[in-house]
Amino acid sequence: METQAPDDVETHYSFRQLQDMIAAYLGSDSVPQRFKIITDTSDFFRVDYNDVVMLGGVPYLMRNYTREGRFGLDDEPKYWVRKAIDLKNREAKIIKLVFHEEIEARVGDLVFKCVRSPGKEAAILEMVAGHRNFMQGIAIRDTAGNIVRILDFIQGKRFDELIFKLAGNHEEFFYEHLPGYLAIYGEMVKAIGFLHDQGQKHGDIRRDHILLDRKTGDYRWIDFDYDYYHVANMFGYDLYGLGNILVFLVGGGDITVQQLQAEGSPHLEKLTQEDMNIIFNNRVANIQKIYPYIPDALNYILLHFSNGANLYYENIRQLLEDLDEVHINA
Amino acid sequence: MSIDHTKCDITGMVERHIMIAVDSSDNSRRAVLFVGDFFGCYEGFQVTLLHIILEPEATFFPDKDEQKKWLSSKLEEAKKVMEEYRHILLDAGFPQDRVNVRIDTMRAPSVADCIIKEQEEMKCCTIVIGRRGISKKEEFIFGSTSNKIIHEAKKCAVLVIE
Repeated sequence: METQAPDDVETHYSFRQLQDMIAAYLGSDSVPQRFKIITDTSDFFRVDYNDVVMLGGVPYLMRNYTREGRFGLDDEPKYWVRKAIDLKNREAKIIKLVFHEEIEARVGDLVFKCVRSPGKEAAILEMVAGHRNFMQGIAIRDTAGNIVRILDFIQGKRFDELIFKLAGNHEEFFYEHLPGYLAIYGEMVKAIGFLHDQGQKHGDIRRDHILLDRKTGDYRWIDFDYDYYHVANMFGYDLYGLGNILVFLVGGGDITVQQLQAEGSPHLEKLTQEDMNIIFNNRVANIQKIYPYIPDALNYILLHFSNGANLYYENIRQLLEDLDEVHINA
Repeated sequence: MSIDHTKCDITGMVERHIMIAVDSSDNSRRAVLFVGDFFGCYEGFQVTLLHIILEPEATFFPDKDEQKKWLSSKLEEAKKVMEEYRHILLDAGFPQDRVNVRIDTMRAPSVADCIIKEQEEMKCCTIVIGRRGISKKEEFIFGSTSNKIIHEAKKCAVLVIE
């Protein structure tokens, strides 16, 4: 990974100059009278709203930290991920400061250790520069050597929000929208294949880690700083994530036993343990049993993520080959 | 006509060279014990104990010191366990000069890929590996080394020890 070295343009700004730059962006009434100019971001709790962080000779005005929602839980503040303004060209950015966190990731009842790796994310940013299906940005070392990632702010909706909105009537969603979304899904799978081919993994594939970039119309993977120690298959966890997204997409949302019970669904009695998601045993993976118009070729893929599966996808190529066989005819 | 028992004609491999792919787990120990019990009393076998340490990318660690510390502790653990495995084989009757110990540090998508690569290079006619006995869920997410070897190893026999 190569992080950008400070360039030879002017790297020192006076307090007054920075105030002028802030005024040019916020208006002269909103210029803070006091703020810190930070070059070492090691203690990210010290970086306050309205502070200016200098990275690679560019001053960034810090705004709020971001939050991340996680399926029904309250949004978790991410103090090390900040909204910011590039004061040189007045662009909105997301700045990810270094937070070496070791996390116990839980998948169903499986627990494994993950780390947040700024270096991994920086390496992938370099790898995917100009790729339409990934968030874009650069990595720069601050004066203490921390790998800070400066990301283009993506304005747009999350993939799962888009699907939820459309899937009120499943049959209509299936015939009118799913073919288009399956094509997008295939494109996103290929993008992950692009990483895998170069020996990298995304590490945290979730349906809320795909954003529709309103400006360009592209779908983009975000947040690839998770890393974990692999032994038998480096790509298995990514494939698991892709499977979950597909099951969610085809079902127009997760179809759970609880939901079917609440609806008094006649499909409940047809379901067996084998039809359920291999990790989340309350989610239906064999969706054809709920919606019989799901074509066999598509349901065959979903069954790879069910309790009844006796073979799993080991690589992206296998998944893409099966996706190519799926045709939805109205 | 005498038969050269050191040749494995069927596989095209140069001799009766068994690779035991191990780590420091109990299932690996069982694999070593199996080879000792089963082949220790016969002549003409060569055994390589192979321990692959999959080294994460440097970016996995907060800094270089952590990376070094991680690697040296893995190497130390591997050396210790390999010495124990070597003794199991010697005690079972393998001559000293027929037991090789190899610890490799590699970067790869899976340990199985490394084992198969080594088997091809060393021209071993058999791979012996212990099965971890992982759950279906675990296999789904993290994969299974023994299953991958069963499916992908070519021109050799694979013994999976439960």
